[in-house]
Amino acid sequence: VTRPQDWVPPNVDVSVPSIARTYDFMLGGAHNFAVDREVGAQIEKAMPGLRQAARVNRAFLGRVVRFMVAQGIRQFLDIGSGIPTVGNVHEIAQRAAPDCRVVYVDRDPVAVAHSELMLAHNDRAAVVRADMRDPDAILASPAARRLLNLDEPVGVLMLLMLHWVPDESDPLGLMASYRDPLAVGSYLAITHVTGDNQGDGLTEATGVIERSKSVDQVTLRSRAEIRPMFGDFELIEPGLVGCAMWRPGGPADITDDPDMNALVYAAVGRKADR
Amino acid sequence: MIPDPDHLPDATPTPPEETRGRSLLARKWAYLLLSTVFQPLPQSEFERELLALLDGVCDDVYGEPFDTTRSHAAGVRLVELGCTVDEVLPRTVDTLGRGLLAQQEFRPERYAERIVLAVGALASGFAEANRRNTFEQQESIKLSLLKAVRDAKWTVKESEARFDEVTMSVASGILIADLDGRLTRVNAAIAEILGYSSAELTGINLFDIVHPDYAPALREDYRDLLDGNRDRIRQSQRLLCKDGEVASISLTATLLRDGDDRPGEFVTVIEDGTELFLLQNELSRQALHDVLTGLPNRQFFGSHVERALRRADREHGITLCHLDLDAFAVICNGLGHRVGEHVLTEVGRRLTAAMSGENAMVARFESDEFAILVENTATTPAVARMVAHINDKLAEPINANGHRVAVSASIGVVHRPSPNFGSAEVLRAADTTLRRAMAAGRGQWKLFAAEQDERDRRTDTLAAAMPGAWADGRLGVGYRPMASLASGAVAGVEALLRWDHPDLGTLPHDRCVELAELTGLSLPLGEWLLRTMCSRARWWQQRLGDDLPLAVALTAHQSTDAELVSRIVGVLDDTRVPPTRLTVWLPVHALSDIADNVRALAELGVQTGLSDFGAAVGDLALLADLQVRSTRLARRLVTRQAEAEAGSPLTSALAAIGPLVHRAGATVVVDGIDTREQADWWRSAGADLAIGDLFSGLAAHFS
Repeated sequence: VTRPQDWVPPNVDVSVPSIARTYDFMLGGAHNFAVDREVGAQIEKAMPGLRQAARVNRAFLGRVVRFMVAQGIRQFLDIGSGIPTVGNVHEIAQRAAPDCRVVYVDRDPVAVAHSELMLAHNDRAAVVRADMRDPDAILASPAARRLLNLDEPVGVLMLLMLHWVPDESDPLGLMASYRDPLAVGSYLAITHVTGDNQGDGLTEATGVIERSKSVDQVTLRSRAEIRPMFGDFELIEPGLVGCAMWRPGGPADITDDPDMNALVYAAVGRKADR
Repeated sequence: MIPDPDHLPDATPTPPEETRGRSLLARKWAYLLLSTVFQPLPQSEFERELLALLDGVCDDVYGEPFDTTRSHAAGVRLVELGCTVDEVLPRTVDTLGRGLLAQQEFRPERYAERIVLAVGALASGFAEANRRNTFEQQESIKLSLLKAVRDAKWTVKESEARFDEVTMSVASGILIADLDGRLTRVNAAIAEILGYSSAELTGINLFDIVHPDYAPALREDYRDLLDGNRDRIRQSQRLLCKDGEVASISLTATLLRDGDDRPGEFVTVIEDGTELFLLQNELSRQALHDVLTGLPNRQFFGSHVERALRRADREHGITLCHLDLDAFAVICNGLGHRVGEHVLTEVGRRLTAAMSGENAMVARFESDEFAILVENTATTPAVARMVAHINDKLAEPINANGHRVAVSASIGVVHRPSPNFGSAEVLRAADTTLRRAMAAGRGQWKLFAAEQDERDRRTDTLAAAMPGAWADGRLGVGYRPMASLASGAVAGVEALLRWDHPDLGTLPHDRCVELAELTGLSLPLGEWLLRTMCSRARWWQQRLGDDLPLAVALTAHQSTDAELVSRIVGVLDDTRVPPTRLTVWLPVHALSDIADNVRALAELGVQTGLSDFGAAVGDLALLADLQVRSTRLARRLVTRQAEAEAGSPLTSALAAIGPLVHRAGATVVVDGIDTREQADWWRSAGADLAIGDLFSGLAAHFS
């Protein structure tokens, strides 16, 4: 007989929201539970334009995947892929070039189960359940070994991901271990929430996440702290900018609110020839 | 011509114009949606998608017989495209509603009703699909949860922590039971839902915590899982809490098989009923209920009317009441919106109570409108008694935030409508009847009469066509001289509207104003009238060197318009007419307060006056309060004077107005002076200026 005390940690608050499902809620999806919606609504109350920031970040994903496909990239590694509702990397990439291969990585077991169900009939996309702080395990996973050829350029996406990694986990060292095994010509895209030029709303919003006892906590970083994550990769024009300013093509890509346009920094880097 | 959705208007589209207009509208629609909802398609493709939907809606508008299938499907398609955030529907309805009406191909407005119906069908398609989509996604995330539990379970021996992580990461309760139903593991969430500790739950039988009324059937269902007859069960259930309370929950269960495909354990996921319930409620409320009062909304009510008409008892039929609370805006403005909301909630409750003895549905439409549908029986009281009963229930003052508020309602009643009526016609009949009741004053009710409805519909049709006529230049401005009764000379000029209608001939000023008031067109139209006159006045001044006073009479809406002063200042600035040259008459019986506008105009130097002035004490009091410069007598009084015997009480009262008004420092203007006798009488009664046929000779001055 298993004693429940052994496996149920004491004093655990069962209403633990998931960042992946809250983001889905922000994008208008219904792949979420009440606790996720509650946190989402509270965050939105603190920062009324946040839904719009989520929208433009998701639109950036579309632009950057199409950009990489246009540069010849045919294999993608999407770290922190979350709950896929619409506009996922494999949908966008395979629409542009059907031979694209995509490996998704997430830590949230429900997000992973959901992705597995969704990708069941797509043999060029798979999901790996792993912590992003363990790049070796990710790259050595059966899915990555099957779908990614590290001798060829890869498009690596770390969107709305690295602000969940606290400084103690050494995000710069971590990024180096992602960049190093990549072939020349590979691309790296990062979006990262910043406190640069933001008001009190952001502090309140991060406060909501802290109080929600979510396992994940936000570390806001400045432009100067985010730039080194690209190491010696060359930044593609226009460099490190508010994600709405990264090659916007229409109303889908920007909001009316300058704060929301700049809430998330975005940049794309390319591994240069030696 | 009255628009009839079932009959094709006799015009056919002209392709090139139509294509261009529609593309522009689709582009605008796409732009507005893209700036609110994430869209994986590139913008140009998204625009193409929307254009195809728009074409479908337009096909519906032209279709014969009229049918909204494609519009409905367009709403469904929007959801499929992922346009599911809250702002999508209002933006879509607003853009298409206005945009289609403005399309060249749908002008003039004979298509208006079809467009409204088609956009409505799109909205209902969207609402249904969005609701379905939400449930599908909810179902799918639950499946994922179940899968995550099962996946973790397979490796549980290697990593118990991983299992915990799965079960801890959700608010759903998870119960693992052996094949006899004995609980071997539970997570903290289910313990919390039921009020037990995890330890207390472990070891007891699953079916012992199910409500005894439901346990035997649930046992059968688990037996089906075990026998492989079903893969999964999903149902609403009632569980027993530790304190004896019953928890309504949603239960999903599957059977886990071991590595050799032999039955191993049951996994049951429990969602606190309140969550699913709230979601369901919220969705159904959004779609079918009014949030504030919890009553059915217009959409739900409309479909209920449809069904009731079909199944109505031939002998007794149905009765539909459409209610509007009198002076509700006054309650909100005076006591605040919270009190207003409380009043609406209480009214909803009382109407429901008033109809409790009947087979009736009470619904709340927008703002302060309610509706009641009664499926009559032999014992249903007569309409008059039913209405009296409703009024009695409403008359009792409502306590709200320390205020005691009494409400009354105007009611339009359609009793036993013709069997040929559809729900839309019955609702429309009730609505127009309500408007007639409201026009008759507070607390009135009216019974629908087909003939009256026909007249109202003609008026509505004309009113709806008026903006188009204005745009097409069929509205004109005419000028009438005002004469001094003392000298007979021209003493000013008044501007009047005129509509040269192709079928009905020239509609005079009063009719134009009445129609414009119905749609709110009177605000821009009034400004245009003033601007036209002021521009003309400059011309008169240059040509004729005269600077006669200019006058314009405002409608009730115009005189309470918050923008009135800025509109008038704008016109005077643009046309360089000095404010002192302008007289503006505001109706003495305007529905709400005109004092602010009168004072602001007077401060500008504009000559203010009260129109529709009579001998009532209240009129004189207002005159004293507002200190206006002139009064214009109600035309019906001038007519009555002409018909009355000399020395009658009425003429005595009218003769007293002049001196009273003069004592308040104002002048008297009379309208409708057609004969020399009238002019003489009014001059001796103290009137200063006159308008009417008698002075039409002076009009040559302005032509």
